[in-house]
Amino acid sequence: MSLNILICGVGGQGLVLLTTVIGNACAKSDLKVVTGEMYGLSQRSGAVSVHLRIGEDAFSPLIPYGKADILLSLEAIETLRYIEYLKKDGVVLMNKRIMHPPIETSKLITDKRSKYINLEDIVAKLKGWTQNIAVVDALELAKKSGNVRTENSVFLGCLSALEVFGVDEKAIRESISEAVPKKTIEQNLKAFGLGKQSAHDSLCTLVPCRPLP
Amino acid sequence: MVLKDVLSKEKKSAFMLGNEAIVRGALEADVKVVAFYPGAPTSEVLDTFSEALGSFDYQMEIATNEKVALEVCAGAAFAGIRSLTAMKSVGTNVASDTLFVLGYTGVRGGLVIVMADDPHAHSSQSEQDGRFFAPNTYIPMLEPSSPQEAKDMVKKAFEVSERHRVPVIIRTVTRVNHQSGIVQLDELSRSEFTKVKWKELNEEYTTLGSVARQKKLRMLERTAKIAEEFDRSEFNFTKQADSDVGVITSSVSYLHVLESLKMLKLQNEVNILKLGTTYPLPKKTIENFIRNLKKVIVVEELSPYLEKELFEIAKNANPNLKIFGKKSGSFSEAWEYNPDIVAKGIALAMDLKYAGHETIVEEASRLKEGIPDRIPTFCAGCPHRGTFVALNQALKIQVAKGQEHYFSNDIGCYSMWIFPPISRGDSSLCMGASVGVANGLSHVIEERVVAVVGDSTFFHASIPALVNAVHNGNKFMLIVLDNSVTAMTGQQFNPSTEFIAGGRQGKKISIENICRAIGVEFLEIVDSYDVKSNVEVFRKALDYDGLAVVVSRRECALYGDRNKRRRGEKIVPFYVDKKVCKRPYVCLRTFYCPAYELDEDRQPRISPELCDGCSVCARLCPLQSVKRTEVKA
Repeated sequence: MSLNILICGVGGQGLVLLTTVIGNACAKSDLKVVTGEMYGLSQRSGAVSVHLRIGEDAFSPLIPYGKADILLSLEAIETLRYIEYLKKDGVVLMNKRIMHPPIETSKLITDKRSKYINLEDIVAKLKGWTQNIAVVDALELAKKSGNVRTENSVFLGCLSALEVFGVDEKAIRESISEAVPKKTIEQNLKAFGLGKQSAHDSLCTLVPCRPLP
Repeated sequence: MVLKDVLSKEKKSAFMLGNEAIVRGALEADVKVVAFYPGAPTSEVLDTFSEALGSFDYQMEIATNEKVALEVCAGAAFAGIRSLTAMKSVGTNVASDTLFVLGYTGVRGGLVIVMADDPHAHSSQSEQDGRFFAPNTYIPMLEPSSPQEAKDMVKKAFEVSERHRVPVIIRTVTRVNHQSGIVQLDELSRSEFTKVKWKELNEEYTTLGSVARQKKLRMLERTAKIAEEFDRSEFNFTKQADSDVGVITSSVSYLHVLESLKMLKLQNEVNILKLGTTYPLPKKTIENFIRNLKKVIVVEELSPYLEKELFEIAKNANPNLKIFGKKSGSFSEAWEYNPDIVAKGIALAMDLKYAGHETIVEEASRLKEGIPDRIPTFCAGCPHRGTFVALNQALKIQVAKGQEHYFSNDIGCYSMWIFPPISRGDSSLCMGASVGVANGLSHVIEERVVAVVGDSTFFHASIPALVNAVHNGNKFMLIVLDNSVTAMTGQQFNPSTEFIAGGRQGKKISIENICRAIGVEFLEIVDSYDVKSNVEVFRKALDYDGLAVVVSRRECALYGDRNKRRRGEKIVPFYVDKKVCKRPYVCLRTFYCPAYELDEDRQPRISPELCDGCSVCARLCPLQSVKRTEVKA
């Protein structure tokens, strides 16, 4: 059995570092892992995605359509862009944050009636695919940890709550400590804990989680 | 990236990107000279070597282009020193003049050339299949499917290179370079860097006329020997099954094949031959594999390279063999492959019922209706945005006067002016070609030709075309967008930067001095952020009856941010003063910065975490409503 996670977001959100943290934790735990990473043309603000696959029988760096167990999206609009990869009853773990691309904003100023896509629109569309949708206010939790740039540690916390996420929590914490700047380790670990806690309030009502200690 | 693992002396397993594994393999092989021009998907090879430079004793150059990089490596290899270069698919075209000759001259020290093709043209202008360089140059080629294989093959390539005195190509695809996985690290023991005495080596590397004809014969003998050796290579292996069907595959397609057989519930039901040495091909290995089969499916991206060879081999070894691939229509020469495409092709070849992925993709596309595109765009703070805003305004004035234009685009971040909202670009070919084609167009079209080129591309391939323009008196306008680094591939240093590989001090080369030296008469240097005054400069350049060059200069915002962080400077964002803003939307209409969005009152709002503090939008606002956030002292 393999665990397939499609991670997506916007260039500059730190997907590569997030992937590295999980990958390094897998290496520490003797788990086989393979990824396919797509950075896009622009350095920032473009669509970015990573296929992350853990387990002995995950061969290709790309997840087959409809086979992702989890769609982890650091930006809400991007969730829909990769929906074909998610299993029909798969888990959407999605950031509340929306980053409106300039092309969407330019439509708003030329057409007074047009509106931004909002979180409710996105969730409604996603419900046409799966009911297991958890929206995380990662920025709010990151702020609570004392550093707004710890959103991805929040998500690592959420993932670690899930029963299907078989990577050892200790290895993830170690891996975070090695990957982030030294003076932010404590804040990142706090964000990780807050993420895990928040999963128990939302995500875990939808899918099986490990009990909190 | 975790540099620690690349540098680790420990024999352990580590999670690595394909490109990092390539570096690790080369370091384990005690490589002594490396040189690159950056290009996706290989840029992290350069970046990793540059970061590791402080820890090991090797020479490294970020060269002006791929040809020079290859020549740097060839020079070292002529003297018996191990060297490695890496380039993207189309970079090999630039280096190919040298590559072809190296097949004839050979080398003494191991020379490894990593060549990365880009099926799907994720970040390239074409889907060229570089594998054909190998038979054309008589240079052996290895193809890894994973980071582990990439590391192992790089090491082995140095041995093959030295044993047969020939460069070796490691051919990758994007999905190998940008694939991460677990890599088993071997011992890392480095020897001391010492110079050698050329005269004592007793070598020569010439070729011309009769010498070339003699060397051609030796090249053919060499290739035959390598083919024999490759027939015993561990990089070609089979997975046997009790079946008369076989799959022949290589590169990342091998991993897609394993995945798709799982999807088709055919795991261990089909024979597989995975080829790692794809030039010269291990003919005996292939003959043995196909001898007792009825059906072979060839799975390879892009051109039918293996498939054509298989038709030849099967003529003698198994004339009744049915071959399925691109010629049979089971697979296409287009697209990057994935497990679904491969599963569909295999099912088609085997007459299996298989639902395929069309339904699920179609269903998803219905859900996606109405979601905004996220097309590539200039970063917040990007100087190119300022340059193009000024150019647009100048063009508007010129168009009103009746002047029309042709836009000649080139390769770099500024290429993105072809995307909305600017959407300009009549042609866009390859590195430096914007200037080259401007020469020809200036002879034959009535419109004023406007060519753009970045600093790195200027040095890489456009100087000969500019010299040509001055020498022949050709009339067009050229904007050199100088942002100090090779931005699109990750802000690597280039001759326009004062630094060289590893962050060491280098000599910065002045673009305007080059222009002056070759006799450019209309030459202006402007600050890309100074939009208002640049409009007039661009307008004059458009009006000028001759060759006009404008150097628009301001460092790349991301590179600038990195420097600011290093110096401990804060990035101070701007904000829109809601009381002053009357929503003329000049900021949004002309500037199109990703840090901007509309708030609930449909007033422009700047995301402080995205704003780079460049101030250009503030300078453009007619109401002065965009202000710098006050920072407490």
